[in-house]
Parts: sequence; C-alpha cells; structure tokens
Amino acid sequence: MLLLQTLIAGLLLGGMYALISMGLNMILGVVRIINFAHGEFLMIAMYLSYLFFIWGNLDPYVSAILIVIILFFIGALTQKLLIEPIIDKPAPTKIFATLGLSIALQNLALMVFDANYLSVKTSYQTSVVTLFNLSISVPRLLAFVVAILVVIALYYFLQKTMVGRAIRAVSMQRTAAHLMGINVKRIYMVAFGIGTALVGVAGSMLLPIYSVFPTVGASFVLIAFVVVVLGGMGNMFGAFYGGLIIGVVESFAGVLISPGVKEIVYFIIFLLVLLIKPAGLFSKGKGSEEVGL
Amino acid sequence: MKRNLKIFNGILFVLLVILILSPIVLDDQFILNVLIQILMYATIATAWNLLGGYAGQLSLGHALFFGIGAYTATILHINYGISPWLGMIIVVAVCIILCAIIGLPTFRLKGPFFTLATIAFAEVARHLALYWRELTNGSVGINIKFDPSFTNMIFQKFDTYYLLILLLLVVTLFITYCIDRNKMGYYLKAIREDEDAAKTLGINATKYKMYALILSASITGIVGVFYAQFILFFEPESVFNINISAQVALIAIVGGMGTVFGPLLGAFIVIPLNELLRATFPEIHGMNYFIYGVLLIVIIIITPNGLYPILKKLWLRFFVKDSSKGAGN
Repeated sequence: MLLLQTLIAGLLLGGMYALISMGLNMILGVVRIINFAHGEFLMIAMYLSYLFFIWGNLDPYVSAILIVIILFFIGALTQKLLIEPIIDKPAPTKIFATLGLSIALQNLALMVFDANYLSVKTSYQTSVVTLFNLSISVPRLLAFVVAILVVIALYYFLQKTMVGRAIRAVSMQRTAAHLMGINVKRIYMVAFGIGTALVGVAGSMLLPIYSVFPTVGASFVLIAFVVVVLGGMGNMFGAFYGGLIIGVVESFAGVLISPGVKEIVYFIIFLLVLLIKPAGLFSKGKGSEEVGL
Repeated sequence: MKRNLKIFNGILFVLLVILILSPIVLDDQFILNVLIQILMYATIATAWNLLGGYAGQLSLGHALFFGIGAYTATILHINYGISPWLGMIIVVAVCIILCAIIGLPTFRLKGPFFTLATIAFAEVARHLALYWRELTNGSVGINIKFDPSFTNMIFQKFDTYYLLILLLLVVTLFITYCIDRNKMGYYLKAIREDEDAAKTLGINATKYKMYALILSASITGIVGVFYAQFILFFEPESVFNINISAQVALIAIVGGMGTVFGPLLGAFIVIPLNELLRATFPEIHGMNYFIYGVLLIVIIIITPNGLYPILKKLWLRFFVKDSSKGAGN
C-alpha cells in the first residue's frame, strides 16, 4: 500500500515537472535556445498568482487563466526584445543573455518582495480525498488533472492547427519552413510564449501547494533540465513522460532512501541517459543531438 | 604587425609587474583583499577559458572543481593532517576522475549536453556536501583553525596570499600562452570552429577536449585549495554556488574568450564592478545583482567577443596610422 501511495504521490508531482519541462523543451526545440530564465518565469507566475489572491481575492485556480495570458505575452516579449537580436550570435552570448535575465529577475523579486516565503491560505488546501484506502491531496490531484488537460490540448494544437503545424515545421527545419512561407520570427514568439504560458499554468497550480520566494524557480529548472535530457531535447511528449518518471523517482527516493538524496538520484539517471541513450528515452532518431546551442 | 602585438603584450607585462609591486607600496588591507579576489577569479577564468574559449566547451559548473578543491584539501588536512600543499596533488587526481566522468559521455555528443552536465554535477556536489554531514559538516560549513605556518598554508599577512595567488595566475597565463602558440591551441580552436572538419583533418577531438577540461579543472581545484586556506571558513553554498560558475564564465566572456589575457582583463572589470555595486546599494537587497544582471545582458549583446579584441584593434589602428606617417616622411 505504501508503494502505491508513493507511486501516486510521485505521479502527481511529476505532472508539475512535466508542465515546466515541456515549456522548456518547447523553447529549446523551436527557438533552439536554453532558457536559463525559465525558472524565473515560474517564480513570476507564482508571485502574480499570490498578488491576485491578496489584492483581488482571486482563487489561484481562477487567476490561472489571467496568468497564462500574461505569461504568454511576457514570453513573446522576451523573445522579441532579448532573443531575436542575438539569435545568430555565438552560443555564449545566448546562454548569458538568458542567464543575465535570470539573475536580474531573481533579484528584482528580492527587491520587491524580500526573501520571505509567501503562501496563500485556501479552504481546500489541506483537504484530502480517500480512494481505496489511498489518501490523495486535493490541490495536488487538481494540479495533475490540469496538467493532463493542458498536455492533451497542446497535443491537438500542435497536431491539428495551422500554427501548431508551423511550429513543428520550424522545429524540424527552420530554413525549409521559412522557404514554405512560414513567418519564422513570429513562430519563435508564439513558441516562446507557449513555453512560458505552460510555466504560468504550473505556477498557478503550485501556489496552493508550495510557498513562493525569489529563488523558487532555480530548483524546478534544474529538474526540468534533467527531464528534458531524459525525454529527448526538443521532444515535447518525451518531456511529459520524463516529468512523470522523475516525479515517481523522486517520490520513491524520498521514501526508500532519504529526501536529501533526490538530487543525487536525478543525476545518476541523467548520467545513465547520457551514456546509454543521449537522444532521450523516447526519441526515435538522433534528432535531439542536432539541437545546437 | 607581429612586432606591434609584441609591444602590446609587453605593455600588459609591465602592468603585471606593477601588480606584483603594488601591495608593497599600497599596504592597504581592503584593497589587497579585493586584489586577491580579482586574481583568484582571474586565475579560474583563465583556466575556464582554456576549455570554454579555446575548445568551445562551455562549462557552467566550474564551482564543482573549486568546491572539490576546498573540501578535499581541507578534509584531508583536518582529519588526516595532510598538508594542503600535498592536498593539491590529491585534488588534481580527484578532478581528473571527475573530468573523466563528465567528459567521456558528453564530449562525443553535439549540443548543450556538456553545459547541462556541468551544471548538474555542480548542483549534485552541493547537495552531497549538504547531505553528507559526517564528512563535510553539512550546511554548518568547515572552520579552519587559524594556525599560521608554511605547511598549513596559512599565513599571518595578506601579502603572502597575494604573492601566492599571483604566482598561480602567472603560471596559468603562461600555460595558456604556451598552448595558444602551440599545436594544441590550433587543434582546440579548430575543434571550436568546426568539430567535424577538425576530425576529418585527423584531430582526435575527444582527446584534446579532455586535455583542456583536465587542465582547466585542475587549476580551478588548486584555486579552491588556496581559497579555503585564505578565507578559513566555507560551506556548500559558498563554494559550490552556481553564481561562482556563472561569474567565472562571465569574466572570460567580458574580457575576451580564446585570448590569453582576456580573462585577466575581464576580472579587473567584473569583480570591482561587483564590489562597487555591493557598496553602493547596501540597504536594498538584490539591487546590486539586479543591476549586475542587466549589465550582463547589455555587455553580452554589445560586445559578444569581449573587450580584449577591441583594445587590440584600437591599439593596432593607432599604431598602424602612426607608422604609415613615418613611412611617408
């Protein structure tokens, strides 16, 4: 029973990791840039959710809709103002542009909110549903359900809509996509926006569970890097499964060994994947190896 | 052209000599402390540059080697009485093993795998140091008893530390200079520019990237040993911090990647800037790093190749103009 309980806890946690990692992987796969500020977008989403709750008395699940829209525009603007001018510059420039953004945003949060841990109090926060003797936390279950719904919606968006097809085309071959008349720059903005919007969903779902503080994103983004390599760079749905796997692994490592060693367990997985299947567990070819910085 | 460059490098050399003499003239503890910091970062950034600038392998985890240096030497010193001087050799051995673990799987891949692996390793080392309390004292950190002696590598005066780190910097610069002029430098640059082409020409890319990594890591580890004996107190957050890794890379990039003196120049810009910002905004938390982050973005966008090439170009333009006048007469 304990094992099943641990498995469920891990899957629920993995849903969040999946959302964050899919956002990172969307940006990596399409714009071909490692967004080191990804965790800071998560932090922004959580602070926004907090502010909506404090000022507007909006429940985090309600304000999620607003936050997703805001985060989409923040992402698109970041692409337009910061990434677009340096898209053809060498790798270090790209890395340090987003790393600089990450440092600036983290410390902006520190200036505005100080280093306090802020959290919201809701009625459902500690409620638990019991299913076949398993107790499941309601906000975590809700977060997982939303994550699944978002993933399904994203799947249909990428497979069935024109914009979705264009995004996939750009991620496969940007020059050919350009020749086919796709506005690559606009697709970059849309992809970056969707990547950060996914983090917006994750941030809104996380606020009832976690506290928010200026460096909250850093721990999540490290996990996202591991998940992205595990699922295959640029492989959106690889990141989804990868997120679930890491969630389950973290949960089991916490129960069976000690909560302090979870990072060490990730890292061993990370290393094994690099050694055995660097293209990622779910990739067919070696496509992800071609994702240059 | 070549002679002009020699003069240019000669001026830099004179500046270096001034550096050696300055603490004796200045005798100001605060300035000396900042200078030691600058030289420390300059040494690590020069080492980073061997790997990042010449071989094009961007590490964002050099704090790993820095921290390993500090922890390994100190633990050996405190628990087994092994002098930090001997500890340096063991640190180098540990660094080589770590390099093999990081480099062997990632160097055969293209893309950002190496960068991600270095971040992951540094973070894991931080968590290990926090978790493994019996060995590392966890988040409490390690306090080294102030017991000045040569074998303990602890000295009464800052001057000795200063000369020690300066020596380390000069050795590192000399190694870089030799590699820059040697075939290894050309190999590394070829790998950086186009790895496939370099391989086609018969360069064993993995092997040379490995050499660069080992050299870079070992020097960083040795600076870590120095840091521990200088500061006498450290904890996982202060040595395995990702900000150290980022700062080191930033210094090399601002100064000029793939140049011998670029990282040194970078350290003299970035570290004082950091200190200045910290001193200017002491009451607002995060203000200094916020400005630092913004400046970082601006500098990176304006001068992606760093300041050293710009200085060099200015020098050459100035000098060439001058010599053409001379020829006219």
